Amino acid sequence: MDEAPNTSLPGGYDQGDVHNKLGLLTRQLHDSLRELGYADRLQGSVAALPDAQSRLTYIARLTGEAAEKVLGIVDTAKDEHTQIVEQTQKMREALVADPVAAVAKGHVMNHLEAMDAANARLDSRLTEIMMAQDFHDLTGQVIAKVVKLTSSLEEQLVELLLQTAPMHSAPAAAAVLAAAPVVEPEPPALEITADGHPVLQGPVVDPENTPNVVTSQSEVDDLLASLGF
Amino acid sequence: MRRIVRNLLKESGFTEADEAEDGVVALHKLRNSKFDFVVTDINMPNMNGFQLLTEIKADEKLKHLPVLMVTAEARKEDIVAAAQGGAAGYIVKPFTKATLEEKVNLVLKKMGL
Repeated sequence: MDEAPNTSLPGGYDQGDVHNKLGLLTRQLHDSLRELGYADRLQGSVAALPDAQSRLTYIARLTGEAAEKVLGIVDTAKDEHTQIVEQTQKMREALVADPVAAVAKGHVMNHLEAMDAANARLDSRLTEIMMAQDFHDLTGQVIAKVVKLTSSLEEQLVELLLQTAPMHSAPAAAAVLAAAPVVEPEPPALEITADGHPVLQGPVVDPENTPNVVTSQSEVDDLLASLGF
Repeated sequence: MRRIVRNLLKESGFTEADEAEDGVVALHKLRNSKFDFVVTDINMPNMNGFQLLTEIKADEKLKHLPVLMVTAEARKEDIVAAAQGGAAGYIVKPFTKATLEEKVNLVLKKMGL
């Protein structure tokens, strides 16, 4: 015959009592948050966390793609550089062996033309590497938004801590608040509403789930064309 | 990003391209020197691209300047606002060298330059 489960806890509490007390505390916390006006604010911040996650994913993707792109270009450029060195060495040997023949047979001219072509390719590679750095502009804007969200959440949690701390621990909570970094608000220039323009949103990190955004330059051109521009 | 745009413009033959760190500096330069066209971001400190566009189009001496917006703002309402504000073109980031060249040449062609 099985024994009945032991529901008693150390200190003489029954498991059911503890459960009820936890439920009561949760309810009190919920009511307190609502009365203090934190429930909605915290809910808003928590709701923004998935957005922050997708923004961080976007940053990881962009930086990863840029790194891959640059490393690929450098690999290609290094191969080309090796070929240039080898061709130049052969040209040098040919000139040393028989300078007149090297010129007369067109080897020198061919080499110079090959160098021109190599220089053009090198210039193109450098441009590609430069263009790959555009991720910094885009990720910088996205990081600023994530920092703003994180700071807002931290500020709300510290305020909540101060409001709900027991009397004897209030000084400790105040110390936490004092130690919290001061977050400068975003420059007002980004918040344009007075002149009728929409508030800027920055890069679209999740175009598939973002309504009313364009995902390519051709869509921009089509939209402008439809407006007669 | 503006260094990238400036370098691309130089590669395309616009060797006298100048740059500004925000709209306020850009407007000051525009009012004190001669330029053929403007390429501007939207998300800038102090004075953003929309505000710069408005200032340029409100200035009798500058309003003829074509303004090409290069930006990460991809909402349709932003594009419409730029067009209605008088922008000559709109490029979304990330973009290619070919796209920038195409749009600049289009702007200059419309200007008869």
